[in-house]
Amino acid sequence: MSTISDKVKEVYEGFFKKTWSPMTGGILLAVLAIYMFAWHRPWGIVGGLRNWGDWVLYSLGLLDLDEAPAHPLFYSSSVMDLGLLAGAWISAVIAKEFAIRIPPMLEIWKGLVAGILMGIGSALAFGCNVGGFYSALQNLAANGLTMMVGLIIGVIIGLKYLYWEMEHLTPGPAGPTWLDKKIPAVVGFIALAALIWAAYAYGGSDMEDADLMPGYLLIGAGIGYVFHRSRLCMVNGFREPFMTGEAAMGKAVAVSVIIGTLGIAIMKYMDLRPEGMYVVPAFWWGSLVGGIVFGAAMVVAGGCGSGSLWRVAEGQVKLWVVVIAFALSNSAVRYWFDQNDWLYTNDEYTVGMLGKAIYLPDYLGYGGSILLVIAAMLVWYIVIDWNEDSNKLVIEM
Amino acid sequence: MSDYKKAPDGLTVARTLDAKGLSCPMPLLRTKKEIEKINSGEILEVLGTDPGSRNDIPGWCERAGHEYLGEKEDSGFIRFYVKKK
Repeated sequence: MSTISDKVKEVYEGFFKKTWSPMTGGILLAVLAIYMFAWHRPWGIVGGLRNWGDWVLYSLGLLDLDEAPAHPLFYSSSVMDLGLLAGAWISAVIAKEFAIRIPPMLEIWKGLVAGILMGIGSALAFGCNVGGFYSALQNLAANGLTMMVGLIIGVIIGLKYLYWEMEHLTPGPAGPTWLDKKIPAVVGFIALAALIWAAYAYGGSDMEDADLMPGYLLIGAGIGYVFHRSRLCMVNGFREPFMTGEAAMGKAVAVSVIIGTLGIAIMKYMDLRPEGMYVVPAFWWGSLVGGIVFGAAMVVAGGCGSGSLWRVAEGQVKLWVVVIAFALSNSAVRYWFDQNDWLYTNDEYTVGMLGKAIYLPDYLGYGGSILLVIAAMLVWYIVIDWNEDSNKLVIEM
Repeated sequence: MSDYKKAPDGLTVARTLDAKGLSCPMPLLRTKKEIEKINSGEILEVLGTDPGSRNDIPGWCERAGHEYLGEKEDSGFIRFYVKKK
C-alpha cells in the first residue's frame, strides 16, 4: 500500500525529474503554441534572437537605422525567448541536469560555422524551424511546406558531413564540466517564483505593449519547460529517420503540427486573429533554400532554433556559441536584405525577392488547407514509421 | 517516462569511448562506429556529458539489438555500458 507521501513523491518525480515521452512533449507544445496564438501572436524564435543581434550590431555602430531596435524586455519574440530560456533552466535545475559543459575545440568551431549558417538560412526562410516550418504550417502558410522539404534535404547533407567528420577529424579533449548537480533544486523553484513576479511587474510598466508581456514570458517559459522535460528536438525528429531509423521524435513533431494547426485555423477562421499572421513572402525558393541551409546547419550545431535555446539553458557551451553566431548572422543578413529591398517589393508586403506570401486558404479554402497540412504530416509519419521497421532510409556510415 | 538503469558493478570492459563534451548526435554516432571494433558479447564503455545520451544510447541499443547494461554516475560525466549482440 502506498502512503500519501509516496504518492506525493511519485507525482513530484513525474512532473519535475523524469523525462517525459516525446509524444507528451509534442502534444503539450502544440497546446502551448495555441495558447500563445490565443494570447496575441504565433510562437516564434528568430525574431527574438535577431532583436538581440540587432542590439549588439547597433551598439557597435554597424547598423544604420533610423531609430534604436526595440527594447529586448518589451519586444514580443525576445520575451518569448527569454521565457523559453527561463523555463528550460528551471527544468534543468530542479531535475539536477544543469551543468556548464565545455566542449572540445572542434565542437566550438562547428558551433560557430553552423550558427552563422542558421542565421543565413532563417533569414532566407523568414524563420527557423519554428517560424518557418512549425508555426508557418500551423498558420496555413505555404512556405511552411517548402521549408519542410528543404529541412529534410538539408538534414541529409548535414548528416553526410558528420559521417565525413568522424572519419577525418578527432574532436580532441573536452573542457571541464562545472556546477554539475551543485545547484540545489530549490533554486529552480525560487526562479519560478521570480518569473511569476516578473510577469506581474510588467503590468506596472508604462512601456508600449507592457500588458502583453506576461503571456509571452509565461507561455514561453511553459514551452521551455516542456522542451527540456521531454527533450523534444526537431533536429532529432528530422535526422533520426536517416541516422538510426528511430521515429519517436519525428512522429511527435508531426502530431504536434496537426494539433496546433487545428487550434490556430479555428482562431483565424473565426476572425479572432488576423489571417495574414505568419504568412511571409518566402514561397517557394526562399523557404526551400533557407530550409536546406538551416537543416544542414542544425544537424552540425546539434540544435535547431528551439533546441539550441533549451540546450543553452541546460549549460551546453557549444550551443551558446551557436545561438550567439545565429543571432548576429541573422541580424546582419536581414539588415542586408532590408537595405537592398529584398524582403518586400510591393506595398502589400506579399511579394519580395525571396518569394511570395501564399495563404493556403486563399487557394484551397480552410477545409482543403487543413487537409493538406494533415496529409503532409501523415505521409511523413507513415514513411518514418515504415522506415523504423525497414530502415530503408537509413544512410550507412 | 524513463527511469535510468543503473549498471551492475564489476563489468569487464573491452573498450572505452571518450565522448565527453560532445553534443547530440556525436556521442551516439561515435558509439555506433566504436562498437564495430569489439567482438560479440564484449562490453563497450562510453563516457559522456550530454544528458541526451541517457535516452539515445538505450533507445539505440533496443533498436540495434545490443544489450544496454546501464549507466554509472562519475564526477561530471556518465559512464554507459553496452554489450554487443
